[in-house]
Amino acid sequence: MSGEVAGEVRVVVAVVLQTVVVVVAAPFLVGVLRQVRARWEGRVGQGLLQPWRDLVKLARKEPLQASGSTVVAWVAPVVVLGSGLLLAALVPTVTTAGPARLPADLFVVVSVLLVGTVALGLLGLDAGSAFGGMGSSRHLTIAALVEPTVLLAVYALSVPVGSTALGPIVEGRLADPGRVVAPAGVLAVVALAIAVVAETARIPVDNPSTHLELTMVHEAMVLESSGRDLAAVELGSWLRLSVLLALVANLVVPWGVATAGDGGPGLPALALGVVAVVVKTAASGVVLATAEVFMAKLRLFRVPELLTGSFVLAFLAVTGSYVIG
Amino acid sequence: MSSGDASQAVALLAGLELLTAVLLAWRGPASSPRGPLAVQGFALAGLVAVIGVAEGEPVLWLVALLVGVLKGVVLPTLVVRRPSRAAGPAAPPAADRPATVRPVVRPAVVRGRSRVPLLLGAAGLVVVAYLAARPVTRVVTGATGQALPVGFALVLVGFALLATGRRSQSQLVGFLVLDNGIATTAFLATGGVPLVVELGVSLDVLLVVLVLQVLGSRIDTAFGAGAPGGTDLDQLRELHD
Amino acid sequence: MSGVRLGLLTVLGLALVAAVAGGALGTAARQRVSPLLGALVGAAAVWTGALAWSGGTGRVVVGTVLPGVTAAYAPDRLGGAFLVLVGGVTVLASVWAFDGARGTAASRTAWVAYPLFVLGLLGVMAAADVVAFLLAWEVMAVASAVLVLADHARRPEVVGAGLWYAGMTQLSFLLVLGGFAVLASAAGGTGWSDLARLAPDAGATGAGVGLLLLGFVTKAGAVPVHVWLPRAHPEAPSHVSALMSAAMVKAGVYGVLLVVVRLLPAGPSWWGLALLVVGSASAVFGILQAGVAADLKRLLAYSTTENVGLILVAVGAAQVTTARGDVETGHVLLVAALLLTFGHAAAKSVLFLTAGSVLHATGLRDLDRLGGLGRTMPWTCGAFGVAALGAAGLPVTAGFVAEWTLLQALVHAGGPADPRLGLVSALAVTVVALTAGLALMTFTKAFGIAFLGRPRSDGAAAAHEVGRAERLAAAVGALAVLGLGLVPGPMATAAVRALGVDGVTAAGTTLAAGVRLGGVAPAPGSAGEAASGTAALVPVLDPLALGLAALAALVVVAGVVARLRRRAPRRAVELGWGCGGARVSPRMQYTATSYAEPLVRIFDAPLGVSRSVATTTADAPYVVRAMSFRQRVRDVFEEHGYRPLLRAAARVGDAGRALHNGSVHRYLAWSFATFVVVLGLAAR
Repeated sequence: MSGEVAGEVRVVVAVVLQTVVVVVAAPFLVGVLRQVRARWEGRVGQGLLQPWRDLVKLARKEPLQASGSTVVAWVAPVVVLGSGLLLAALVPTVTTAGPARLPADLFVVVSVLLVGTVALGLLGLDAGSAFGGMGSSRHLTIAALVEPTVLLAVYALSVPVGSTALGPIVEGRLADPGRVVAPAGVLAVVALAIAVVAETARIPVDNPSTHLELTMVHEAMVLESSGRDLAAVELGSWLRLSVLLALVANLVVPWGVATAGDGGPGLPALALGVVAVVVKTAASGVVLATAEVFMAKLRLFRVPELLTGSFVLAFLAVTGSYVIG
Repeated sequence: MSSGDASQAVALLAGLELLTAVLLAWRGPASSPRGPLAVQGFALAGLVAVIGVAEGEPVLWLVALLVGVLKGVVLPTLVVRRPSRAAGPAAPPAADRPATVRPVVRPAVVRGRSRVPLLLGAAGLVVVAYLAARPVTRVVTGATGQALPVGFALVLVGFALLATGRRSQSQLVGFLVLDNGIATTAFLATGGVPLVVELGVSLDVLLVVLVLQVLGSRIDTAFGAGAPGGTDLDQLRELHD
Repeated sequence: MSGVRLGLLTVLGLALVAAVAGGALGTAARQRVSPLLGALVGAAAVWTGALAWSGGTGRVVVGTVLPGVTAAYAPDRLGGAFLVLVGGVTVLASVWAFDGARGTAASRTAWVAYPLFVLGLLGVMAAADVVAFLLAWEVMAVASAVLVLADHARRPEVVGAGLWYAGMTQLSFLLVLGGFAVLASAAGGTGWSDLARLAPDAGATGAGVGLLLLGFVTKAGAVPVHVWLPRAHPEAPSHVSALMSAAMVKAGVYGVLLVVVRLLPAGPSWWGLALLVVGSASAVFGILQAGVAADLKRLLAYSTTENVGLILVAVGAAQVTTARGDVETGHVLLVAALLLTFGHAAAKSVLFLTAGSVLHATGLRDLDRLGGLGRTMPWTCGAFGVAALGAAGLPVTAGFVAEWTLLQALVHAGGPADPRLGLVSALAVTVVALTAGLALMTFTKAFGIAFLGRPRSDGAAAAHEVGRAERLAAAVGALAVLGLGLVPGPMATAAVRALGVDGVTAAGTTLAAGVRLGGVAPAPGSAGEAASGTAALVPVLDPLALGLAALAALVVVAGVVARLRRRAPRRAVELGWGCGGARVSPRMQYTATSYAEPLVRIFDAPLGVSRSVATTTADAPYVVRAMSFRQRVRDVFEEHGYRPLLRAAARVGDAGRALHNGSVHRYLAWSFATFVVVLGLAAR
């Protein structure tokens, strides 16, 4: 019994460590993305630390709240950040271990993600400005269309394991590397990657660095937020991006992640896990930023086409997982 | 090479063929079909090679080489080749319209042709192919039989591309996908095709593509359509008179 | 006398007293007594249902006007569960009606019809034979039609809605009547036990079941027989809408469950496939229409169609999986159906009641004119928000648990052993996912446009919080949504008991009761099991643990925020930034219509949208003086299915006029001819 308790404690420690690592690293990942883009465009770039500096600066400023807006103006940023933290704790980035009562079930993970999405959407509507509503409407439309892709990709990934929990899925890929290159797995991961791009508002679905309100999706919703509210929203969004990117990286290259093992992951495994996930995520960030440089943002009404394509891939992944393994 | 490895390789290559077929359906009019077609051709060649290794038939190696060269290199290149127009206008055709100032057009909804129906249709066709192939998969034994529905799916998707393609080029693409599907089915179902048969079939396909390409470019020159994907076939409806 | 019998008699007695009181009392007394009696009927129904649900039995036999024909009411566990549901919704609706039912909604007629409507509804759930079922069904249908028509004198559109409703509800009655007649004549008896002896794959059974399912889905408001729902729900008084949407529609669901689970559990798989197709179409079509609707109650009505669709998907998938041999997954799917039913009942009653409160406070149902109610109506806003979360299937609400169970069961159906089933479940997952995504958008829109932002009209600006009874009903309902979502274990266990199936266990050991789907664990010896032991792979959902984890995250965030707050307090400013002061007029905000614009563009074909933009320009085409924008979203089923049918019927009716030209002799001749024909048939 005491062994079990010790195991639980170790799992909790591992999960907390994982969360802290993601929180610390997320702004750096954004720094990497911006820096890579800057270098490709021939600029010097602002350095990897700039997102952290921005956060600290924003957090110290006083937030302004327009008359007429409700508690949503400060509750929604907190919820966005909270859902980001919860994602960081649930999704296996450093370790696949998780509390037995709270496995990283993908349906649960998606719903936590969607709570953040809805909070952002409401934030956009709260201040009663035209741009906020526009961003909110677009954001929710995209989220709605992404949902089938995500859930079908989950389905396809769960077929070989028999479970939708992320821990076993990643461990299964680690144990049987053939699954990583199996067509169904490849299709599912590609579909998931497109969904992640859409969900985290990256090019070609949304342009994170746009300054033209009419093309905004994500940025339009946070136009009215300032000070620590804005800091919370930004950090929450960066957490989403980092966690999802790390997840895709872990699915493609499962090696290095600390497995649950017997009685929770040990310290050496965790240390290796931290290093591995940082390297993998940074690498995928470089790939993402490079791909973005060579791509243009899609017109909003071409986005459904992209999402249909990813949906078809996910659907083929499910079909394929039955047909050709 | 064990049979497990072989079946995994077959699955991977078949999956690749399927993926490229979907990509070809997804492709917008501006992007070139050459890459996906080439990948599909090489995947087919790889499939033949894997079967050759699994069955221990060196002749299939030769067939694989032939397929790889033809479907991976020659045909994709032919499909995207634009006829050199010595007499044609050097500037893009839009520029030689008279320079009238057009009123600001505010389109309510600008619609290119949406690929959504075709994409969803392709997904549906894969299901149909899977169901249609069930009786055959039950009979065919061995590692390769399981991938047979992919061949069927390729045939169906190719047909769909052929039927819905609006430009001569996309029709050619559809034709090639269809042909790749037939070849995939043949190789997977019979465990290899004799060299002579494959040679004959390949020559036929090459000939068809050449003829269509020549015809297409002739029509292009005659009607001056300058779109990147070749002639818009909808514009040719009046020809039969 | 058993508890259930006593309960049934109490319900019957109270309902009759309530009906008499509604007719006899004066306006002021009625306003106080009738809702109280209604709530008592509901409470008695909950009590009776709970007893039956936990295994109690009891029988009440009612004589009919026909000698020798009696109607027996004896709820079983499943019926008991639905009695609890109807009773609970009745309590909420009645409490709300203390403040909420005013004007024509509180007329003598309405308060007579209301208890009879509830009585009929309860009778359907408690019936033990065909006669009792049909009797209650018709009482329910007629009384509810009267209630829908409550406001017919003031608003002409109510009459149209009432006609559609009456027509469709009688159609449903005829179909159910026909179906039961076929089954009863084949079985040679009218009791449920007689019907249960039928051979499921006989032709007559198939025909009877087909008619029954069609009748039940008509009542449930599924596509393509949903047309009454988006008309009747908005026009009825709000507490009646709540009762109709949360409880009466469930009578259709109960009917479906009665046929495919209780009476004929071994039916062929085409029943399930038919339900799957109807359910999928309803889910997607319903939520699309809800997504583009600008009328709050119409939006909720279409969302009811969507939810019924999901329930039918669950039942249909359960039927198919069971018929193909995967019994345990089928059972989990059935449990999911029941969880969906209860989750939807809780959420939708709150939504309709709060929509009614909004209607009282502002006089508006049109979302495009609402806005900013969150500040003036905080209670209503909170309740609506929680219920909207539930309807959108987000944690930690009842809707989330139900959708999670449904998805888990679907994902585990089929598998490599039965790929064809896998394809079916993949399509079902697609439908559920698309529906869930669009529901998210729909309810973000409904909540955000109505309660956030700034008032878009004078009515919305003058809003005030509603009376105590309305707030109480909404708050209790919202707590139920949260409670069922936070501690779903007992509910899941009870659902298992109601259905007489297994495959789900309540996981509660230390923290609280979550849900553990033992029925869909991978089989021993499978690849998944080899990877990491079966125990880890049994799908587990413990919303309380999730809630605690979220709380931990929020505490950390709140701690940091509180520190920062001391350093730099929040400052209120008159105007938001609005990208340079664009926030001048409230009319510049996004409205519900503009919010749904992307959806309209993407799905314009299935929605049948027509729009026109007219621009009035001054001298140059660039100087725009005024623009008008009109958009109409049609119901394609109504447009292309019902209108032609109605036109044809009208033509037949016109032709029929030739038969009666006013001459008495001709009428007598017709009667005589009919008499002779009947005699001839009888003599045969």
